[in-house]
Amino acid sequence: MRFGRPAAALLALFALAGTTGCGRVAEPDVVLWHAYRGAEAEALVEVVHAFEERHPEVVVEVVPVPYQAYANKLTSGVPRGNGPDVFLFAQERIGAWADAGILHALEPTQHRAVLEALPGGVVDACRYDGELWGLPVATKTTALFYRSDRLDELGAEPPETTDDLVALAARFTDASAGRFGLVYPVGDFYFHSGWFFGFGGTLSDADGTPRLDAPSNANSFAFVADLLNERRVVPRDCDYGVAKDLFARGDALFAVNGPWFLGELGDDVPFGVVPLPRISATNTPASPFVTVESVLVSSQAARSPEALAAATLLADFIAGPESSVIRAERGGQVVADRTAALSAREPAASAAFGAAAAAGTPMPNAPEMTAIWEPLNRALDQTLRGSRTAEAALVDADADLRRALAPPPPPTSPLPYEVAFGLVLVAAAGLAVRRSRRTALLARMRTSRLAYLYVAPAAIASGLLIFLPFIVGASLSLYAHEQGEFSFVGFANFLNILLARDFGLTHPQSFYFTLVVTVAWTAANVVLHVSIGLALALALRDSWVRLRGVYRVLLIVPWAVPNYITALIWKSMFNFSFGSINGVLRWLGATPVDWFSKWSTAFAANVATNTWLGFPFMMVVSLGALQSIPRDLEDAAEVDGASRWQRFRHITLPLLRPALVPAVVLGTVWTFNMFNIIYLVSGGGPDASTDILITEAYRWAFERGERYGYAAAYGVLIFGVLLIYTWATSGRRATELTDG
Amino acid sequence: MASVSLSGVHKRFGDTHVVRGVDLDIADGEFLVLVGSSGCGKSTLLRMLAGLEQPSSGSIAIGGRVVNDVAPRDRDIAMVFQSYALYPHMTVRENMGFGLKVRGAAAPEIDAAVADAARVLDIVHLLDRKPKEMSGGQRQRVAMGRALVRKPKVFLFDEPLSNLDASLRGQMRVELKRLHAKLGVTTVYVTHDQVEAMTLADRIALLDKGVVQQVGTPAELYDWPANRFTARFLGSPGMNFVEAELRDGRVFAPGVDVPVVAELLAEGTTDGPVWIGVRPHDLRLEVGGAAGAIEAEVDVLEPMGWETHAHLRVGDARWTARFDAADAASLTPRGRVRCSVAPRSARLFARDDERALYRAPGPT
Amino acid sequence: MDDGQQTVSWGRQLARQALLIAVSAVTLYPVLWVVKLAVSPQASMGGGFNPLPTGFTLAHFERVLTARDTLGNLLFPIQLANSLTVSIATTLVGIVLSTTAGYAFSRFDFPGKDAGMKAFLVTQMFPGVVMAVPLYILMDELGLLNSMAGLTLVYSTTSVPFSVWMLKGYFDTIPRDLEEAALVDGASQWTIFTRVILPLATPAIVVTGLFSFMTAWNEFILAATFLSGERHMTLPTVLYGYVDENSTDWAPFAAGAILVSLPVMALFFVLQRHLVGGLTAGGVKG
Repeated sequence: MRFGRPAAALLALFALAGTTGCGRVAEPDVVLWHAYRGAEAEALVEVVHAFEERHPEVVVEVVPVPYQAYANKLTSGVPRGNGPDVFLFAQERIGAWADAGILHALEPTQHRAVLEALPGGVVDACRYDGELWGLPVATKTTALFYRSDRLDELGAEPPETTDDLVALAARFTDASAGRFGLVYPVGDFYFHSGWFFGFGGTLSDADGTPRLDAPSNANSFAFVADLLNERRVVPRDCDYGVAKDLFARGDALFAVNGPWFLGELGDDVPFGVVPLPRISATNTPASPFVTVESVLVSSQAARSPEALAAATLLADFIAGPESSVIRAERGGQVVADRTAALSAREPAASAAFGAAAAAGTPMPNAPEMTAIWEPLNRALDQTLRGSRTAEAALVDADADLRRALAPPPPPTSPLPYEVAFGLVLVAAAGLAVRRSRRTALLARMRTSRLAYLYVAPAAIASGLLIFLPFIVGASLSLYAHEQGEFSFVGFANFLNILLARDFGLTHPQSFYFTLVVTVAWTAANVVLHVSIGLALALALRDSWVRLRGVYRVLLIVPWAVPNYITALIWKSMFNFSFGSINGVLRWLGATPVDWFSKWSTAFAANVATNTWLGFPFMMVVSLGALQSIPRDLEDAAEVDGASRWQRFRHITLPLLRPALVPAVVLGTVWTFNMFNIIYLVSGGGPDASTDILITEAYRWAFERGERYGYAAAYGVLIFGVLLIYTWATSGRRATELTDG
Repeated sequence: MASVSLSGVHKRFGDTHVVRGVDLDIADGEFLVLVGSSGCGKSTLLRMLAGLEQPSSGSIAIGGRVVNDVAPRDRDIAMVFQSYALYPHMTVRENMGFGLKVRGAAAPEIDAAVADAARVLDIVHLLDRKPKEMSGGQRQRVAMGRALVRKPKVFLFDEPLSNLDASLRGQMRVELKRLHAKLGVTTVYVTHDQVEAMTLADRIALLDKGVVQQVGTPAELYDWPANRFTARFLGSPGMNFVEAELRDGRVFAPGVDVPVVAELLAEGTTDGPVWIGVRPHDLRLEVGGAAGAIEAEVDVLEPMGWETHAHLRVGDARWTARFDAADAASLTPRGRVRCSVAPRSARLFARDDERALYRAPGPT
Repeated sequence: MDDGQQTVSWGRQLARQALLIAVSAVTLYPVLWVVKLAVSPQASMGGGFNPLPTGFTLAHFERVLTARDTLGNLLFPIQLANSLTVSIATTLVGIVLSTTAGYAFSRFDFPGKDAGMKAFLVTQMFPGVVMAVPLYILMDELGLLNSMAGLTLVYSTTSVPFSVWMLKGYFDTIPRDLEEAALVDGASQWTIFTRVILPLATPAIVVTGLFSFMTAWNEFILAATFLSGERHMTLPTVLYGYVDENSTDWAPFAAGAILVSLPVMALFFVLQRHLVGGLTAGGVKG
């Protein structure tokens, strides 16, 4: 009866959500995924409409997918038939996906007309292992944006060479007025790539094996380090947001950025785009990475000849001339199709990007190349910070890459493991039976039927949706993953991690170093969460405090705003040049701090952010717990002459403990696995030294050559550490937790 | 209304044996008080009657029906808790009506029953309040009202007055007695307070260490305690004792010489070590020179106005006597004093098992 | 009874106000930035000190609110309905699962009680990295992929352990007398649970309910993985879509974040009385 009305309302809501979800008329023949936004997305929809007019027999469903979730959805969805038939993505993943069986190879003869309209280099970027896997749709590369108004003020033309660029930038720069000659995310190798290849850098040996420490690679690193640290034409700690802001305000003369930047700049910003200047030192053009946005057919489309035919038809159309014109005109894309490029919305900019792409370096699509980013970015960061020379940093980067790409441990026979596992199971079962006999377990269980009935729903749900996936996921730790294949390797992953075989004990990426950081991180956060939360709860407790209802709500706000966005806001607050925290320090006359250049300050920045996010929860828990403490006890202690601190220490705190302990234990566990803050605020830097175990696990799975087994072993170890923690502390807590 | 009977009831919690074989028959309409010091098992016994605990062995019957396996709701009992256990989120009206409501009674029926009970307890004006808006005495009445509403066969009270102040407790005692006289419902009442036991009970069952020491009317227990424990428990100040020797029809101890009343002496009693016990008001001060039965030294005098409590040393034992204020005027601390005791008012107990050696004279 | 009529020296009042204003300012500073990004015509994440908007426009909100799918249907109301459905359902399912379990852990003594409590804690230790793919496969096998019901189940199970622990702690403080009184009054186990225990645990249920609601309301990673198609998305997932490989569309992202936060703020405001009001005085104390 009591639950009658809410239950009915719930059913109604479900029904509503159900019907709104079923607005589709017919089952689509082709599902098309993309991660476009704004004009590009609208243009794509128009392209699909045009296709449907041309081929009324094919029904297309266009599904926008958030970029961040795209790759995961694809790799999980396609093998199970939940993915797209056709999708758009940069060509850089083609190798990995082809290996994993996500893609369906294209037959070049079926697309001859389309392919002929495309530059050959662009088409080659979509080839892997001798097959064609996608059709190029658009190119994305970086070019030089300039403020035409500022350039006019200097009476100059866009620079042709890096010497021109540096000279103009130096003339414009006035750090005290917050004006800088050149802005772009200097620590990001993607934006750096134009210099890198222009200076003769190379990412692989002559035979194609990845190699990062070629002697010529250091030149561009030194070039940018000079711009940043000696000439200071680039602001320190320049990230994407800072660059965009300075350029949009007119406080930056040049910016290195991609075609998407066109849409981000307002109509009132006077700017022009040219390809990146020639490198004066080598007299070769800058050659930035070119990603080729491609239309790909998934292996899911091969479920039937009809589906495959429809998918191929759609892919061909999307890459074709009619579509290219729409995408260039309406979507402002830098289309790959040479003739269609002429009808671009902003022809000058498009031409500049087209020229930049022609001079660029195609983004490699081999699976092992996905592992180059982390070591390269780290080496770049080290060089720019001046903590090491470019050469030394690149040698380390190469070693890191080699570790990430190391061949998996040799496969072993699972038989001994299965036998051992079986024996352990039998022994455990035997022990359980013996114990149950001794304690009359069955009889006691029979009398507790009611209790089990109450616990059952929660237990079954947790077992099915938490334990089962974890066990399955954890079992992956006994396997190694390479190019879409899993092989059984036993405990090799664990041994490599625990014996610190890949890294020395004190290396920031070793398990033990990361564990110490994780423990410090957890301890610092939990202490701050609890003490701040409790202090505020106490401050808000007295009924004489005016406006306490208002404060109560205001102080919970951090909990209400999605933490993804506030984490990024905090990161920008810690920015060296433009962050508000350094702003306050400067205002106070103190030296600004380069937060992410040192372990201690980067760690502090992470902790500050997470403290801000986490204290409201503890405050709410404390407020609730404080209610259950009778005020008389504290009054009695006050009469007894206890000071305010003594009252808190000896009366309030002990009485709060039972209510706080579960929150603290859970808070510890959550903080231990708090991925978002580390990943978004410090990004693990400097030198991966602020990474915690969970971000390491993530990197092994997704940023270091898809070593899923290794990552799963990390996951199991995280679980083990937490288990030991609770086991070690449960003796002390047992009475509080399990008794009343 | 119903009789209640317990036979051979034991209760163990793990290794502790809380109730050790209780046999008790409570007549229909009787007011029985279970009294004893804390931890004697009286509350456990009551909770077993209510069905909140299961006896480890033995049987409990209400109205002739064995209820060992009957849930509390089907025993047709009502219970008043020491903490009152009023539902904090319900008004008085809802609190009182809850029992009927969960049994599926119709709303008008519930209203009428609640109104009746409220009138009886004079809490009509409180019906729409919540428990936290009432004083302790008012909550107590509501707790009783909740028990009353259902017109159960048996009332169970678990120290219902112990959270009240002294004067309120006195009032409520009278009220309880009036209520029982009016309703005549079988009542089992647990208390540690001997005054409540003496004033309220038709019969008292005195418990110690999980064993019933004696069952009887208040007067029986007071006048003819079955053992030294009962004698000591009832009465304030308590009965005076000294280790003595029964020899040749007299009882001797240092300073004590009292003749035995042979007709009261239990059969088979032989000479030997005994306890002699005398209630304080049975000691008479011998002002003249007449030879007294008991010689003592005065320790402290407590004049009460109408009488004086004299704390005495009799041999090694400390005794208390209640003397007339006028008689006691001549006493001084450290002085010696002589008392007499009517032989029939002295009590003898065996030294070994402390059972009473005097038996109440049968009705003749 | 202590209600707001207690008097206190104005110096103390002032000191307390100063403390709370300072803490609130630090707390709200980053939030003001979100507001700035959302309402300024041209703000960006480039830092600076001033958190106050540099202009005012509702264009970003309009963009979020009036987004349409390929058929021209307004998406926001549908996605809001999705979010509300999932969050409310998660809260209700979470409360049903956790109050029953929490009650059993508080009141019954049964074999496996200790292990059960610990097992609930243990679930919180499983790193999501390891579980995501198996969970996806499981949901697919159960036919719950891309459905509100599936997401509800996953969310409520993730929030249950916390709720069970909190509720168990709270149930422990409710005197057993009350249940015994109800037992003698003739109530069944279930009646006692629903009519006596649950009403008394309101403050704890509100806190844990709020927690469940927030878990579901703000989650986007699992939602983005399990749900497909704009009409099935929840609001945070839509926000997630404004984040790109190289750039983030901050203005609509921030505007969306505010739209997502507003209902939660409203909920806080409505519930804050319950969070603090409470039934712990009076009768329960006895």
